[in-house]
Amino acid sequence: MSWSDFCSKFQTDFIEKGRWLQLANGLLMTIEIAIGAVILGIAIGFVIAVVRSTYDKNSKGIHNSSDRVTIGSVILWIANVICKFYLTLLRGMPIMVFVLITYFIIFANYDVSPVLIAVFAFGINSGAYVAEIMRAGIMSIDEGQFEAGRSLGLNYVQTMTYIIAPQAFKNVLPALLNEFITLLKETSVVGYIGMNDLTRAAILIKSDTYDAFLPLIVIAIIYIILVILLTKLVSILERRLRVSGR
Amino acid sequence: MDVNSNALIRVIDLEKHYGSLHALDGITTEINKGEVVVVIGPSGSGKSTFLRSLNLLEEPTNGHVIFEGNDITDKKVNINYHRQKMGMVFQHFNLFPHMTILNNMTLAPIKLLKKSKAEAEEKAMSLLKRVGLEDRAKAYPAQLSGGQKQRVAIVRSLCMDPDVMLFDEPTSALDPEMVGEVLDVMRDLARDGMTMVVVTHEMGFAREAVTRVVFMDGGKMIEENTPDEFFKNPKSDRLKEFLSKVI
Ligand SMILES: Nc1ncnc2c1ncn2[C@@H]1O[C@H](COP(=O)(O)OP(=O)(O)OP(=O)(O)O)[C@@H](O)[C@H]1O
Ligand SMILES: [Mg+2]
Repeated sequence: MSWSDFCSKFQTDFIEKGRWLQLANGLLMTIEIAIGAVILGIAIGFVIAVVRSTYDKNSKGIHNSSDRVTIGSVILWIANVICKFYLTLLRGMPIMVFVLITYFIIFANYDVSPVLIAVFAFGINSGAYVAEIMRAGIMSIDEGQFEAGRSLGLNYVQTMTYIIAPQAFKNVLPALLNEFITLLKETSVVGYIGMNDLTRAAILIKSDTYDAFLPLIVIAIIYIILVILLTKLVSILERRLRVSGR
Repeated sequence: MDVNSNALIRVIDLEKHYGSLHALDGITTEINKGEVVVVIGPSGSGKSTFLRSLNLLEEPTNGHVIFEGNDITDKKVNINYHRQKMGMVFQHFNLFPHMTILNNMTLAPIKLLKKSKAEAEEKAMSLLKRVGLEDRAKAYPAQLSGGQKQRVAIVRSLCMDPDVMLFDEPTSALDPEMVGEVLDVMRDLARDGMTMVVVTHEMGFAREAVTRVVFMDGGKMIEENTPDEFFKNPKSDRLKEFLSKVI
């Protein structure tokens, strides 16, 4: 490809008819979906991780005389079963399939904005992975931390929230980053449910201009830059948290 | 049940089973206001289990713990509320590594006693001053020596104005040269009239600052007495044997 060739392709692909705007809007949508899904995923993941690690700890009989069946332990058992079911389901199917199910089945008869549907699908999916990461993080915190919190009079949830979760979160930040990178890239399948995200924008430009090269290379570069920025952000956060010593 | 007005904690027929192992095998005792009780005994005798049963960190299999007139082994009581009045100090300090010393100390008073930040910090600073650590308020636990950490752990508990302090081998994880500074703080507390239950191997501490020494073995309280009598005239053979080994 000669330089003038490149310039004219660039002209038709991005400048003409304001096509760059399609990319910009696509980028915006990709970011919107990713951020929404990350937040939903963390919220769901945290709750599940707490349920699962609470169940794990109690069933080992550290804090309870295990032979006593209380209402609490029955509820916990049921909650744990539900969480495991959720994890099996969501981790078992390809994200693409779950996005299609969400769009064509779950929300088929509801008038919900597509962005929200995508946030829902990716958030629910990501929650399953975040849950297992956070659970490992919670289990890695020394039991003494928990006991110190409870001995001061903090209840279970307060101890989790103020003492265990912040430390667990710090420990699993690298693993969470991986999950978020995966999530960001996986959003590229939302074109299949008619959403104009970054990937879809490139495909549309390609079918308009019959040039595949530039649009695809450009969005590849944009994805890479997004991942670099995300990595940077997390490492800044990590450094901030590391101030507090070990 | 006749309630001895002086008994801060009454322990009645307390048992803790781990499968077939009886870590606590029927313990009945009282801890009065202002008493400093030291619990000694061989490893595995149930000292920690006993201490941790007092604030229900360990849930007893049978028996009762009556704290300030409330049976806290009753499932219906709000144990979190009563734990606010029972400070606990652990062998491994268990400071919160992600918080400054000051935040370690003000977390519970702010969340539980609904104190304002300023109020909680004022109290924390005066307690830090008392143990000579006011200049470390903004430091993180990782930046402190073992002895300093344990002193902070003690005043962290004191921030809640507890009615009793429970210590589980507070000096066992310390380098020898740091044991003294922690024991000094504990002696100071005892002089101030704090009710204390202390599991320790520090026989020096058991002899002085203390109103009663209890010997545990095999999940039972074998013998208890004033420190003078306890060390001069041990009655049971097991205690004689134990003392001959540790002194
Ligand atoms: N979570 C547990 N599961 C099973 N057995 C336990 C558990 N905790 C304690 N035990 C057992 O109960 C007995 C009493 O333990 P405890 O920790 O109270 O002893 P201790 O007197 O504090 O000993 P040490 O001086 O070594 O700290 C021991 O035999 C111990 O192995
Ligand atoms: Mg012990």
